[in-house]
Amino acid sequence: MDVELSGVEVRFGRAAPVLHDLDLRVTPGRPVVVLGANGSGKSTLLRVVAGCAAPTAGRVTGRPRHVGYVPDRFPSQLRMPARSYLRHLAAIHRAELSDAPALLEDLGFTGGLDVPMVRLSKGNAQKVALAQALCSRAALLVLDEPWSGLDMAAAATLTSRVTDAADAAVLVTDHTGTAAYLPGARVLALVDGRLVPARPPRPTVTITLRGAEPLLPHLPTDTSVDGDRVIVRVPVEERDALLAWALARGCGVLAVQP
Amino acid sequence: MIVARYILADLLRSQRFILPVFVYLATLGVLFGGDPGPPPAGWPASALVLYPVSAWLASTTANSEDPVARLVTVAAAGGPAVVARGVLAACLLADVVLAAVSAVRPVIPLVTHVYPYPPAELLGGGLAHLATATAGTAVGLLCARPVIERVGWSLLAAVTVVVITGVTPWLPPVGTAVKTIGTVPTDLAAVVLDALIGVALAVAASALTTVRRTPRPR
Repeated sequence: MDVELSGVEVRFGRAAPVLHDLDLRVTPGRPVVVLGANGSGKSTLLRVVAGCAAPTAGRVTGRPRHVGYVPDRFPSQLRMPARSYLRHLAAIHRAELSDAPALLEDLGFTGGLDVPMVRLSKGNAQKVALAQALCSRAALLVLDEPWSGLDMAAAATLTSRVTDAADAAVLVTDHTGTAAYLPGARVLALVDGRLVPARPPRPTVTITLRGAEPLLPHLPTDTSVDGDRVIVRVPVEERDALLAWALARGCGVLAVQP
Repeated sequence: MIVARYILADLLRSQRFILPVFVYLATLGVLFGGDPGPPPAGWPASALVLYPVSAWLASTTANSEDPVARLVTVAAAGGPAVVARGVLAACLLADVVLAAVSAVRPVIPLVTHVYPYPPAELLGGGLAHLATATAGTAVGLLCARPVIERVGWSLLAAVTVVVITGVTPWLPPVGTAVKTIGTVPTDLAAVVLDALIGVALAVAASALTTVRRTPRPR
């Protein structure tokens, strides 16, 4: 069943609305990928769809009773061990005794199922959150930046799991560019509180340079400065040209990351 | 109740329940230590103390889960109302246990003295404690997340409400239950009514916490 938002508005206090008169339909088999700048309201939109935040105005219809939701930052301070947490959440989802431990293994979870989750690394805690949602058999999956913080193998496992969930409606935010290549994906951008069609982002790499301050006017727009380091995000195919150009001007390359 | 089981498991692991429960058990120890005396013994005092203790325990229960983990639970369970009912069920279970402990404490012969406590008196004592405990649950739920997010404001609000309503003898359910339990034989009809009012207040408070409000950023 389709999940549909009509005229949804969210505003915090008297500030300008974060979401404004927003309409959206999420159909099973056609994942909706939401892009947008930091603070554009993507997480707020996902919480409204997941049913854990009420919109100021407008309606969400067709939402199933149980929703598999992964927040953008899963808390790392939970006292419960992962095994107990997953068992409780499976029960709350009314799912069968879940295959979450098997999925965790596929995701390369290394933290230990029976230690308090507070001892898990950020990546391992994220994997517990993903297992909770993906093993819920929920008819609606709402995933907030699920690929962030995952290594390559885990990211591939996640991609195949989301692809397999073709009978579920999927709403996802993703800045890594992976979700846009899910089968049937529809890519939208959240701009000024509304959703507009967007082109899928090209895969990018992040290049960290030292001694590149004098070159700042010539670098691409997606560039930030962190102390003595300059961090540039460029499309994969422009990577070698930029590196050669920067090296020729005496910069040091500190890192090249996906 | 599946959500209540999860909330209780998280609360027990947090150990945050220990302080209010310990304070209450220590109070019982002081009031009934050695020679509890004939009914009503220390019941009026313990029933009055149970009111703030239960409020404290209820807001601890409501605040125990991490706010972001709570979002996941709300989405999984089917909305804030389902989770609120789970929190309420966990609190009411604690109320019943604490009221039962208070009622049977004077008949446990820890030292030597044993006084006659007829079943009707024990029932009256238990119900009076249940009335103040459930009233405390109502206050605690209204002074915790998602109504009041910050722990400091929570505390101030709960203390204010408890102090004003706890020392008003004509005010049901706390004032009247404490007054009724002080006279023997206990007016059972009166404490039954107080307990029912207490439970109704707790249920109403739980429902009020999920009334749609202006969303807040997190």
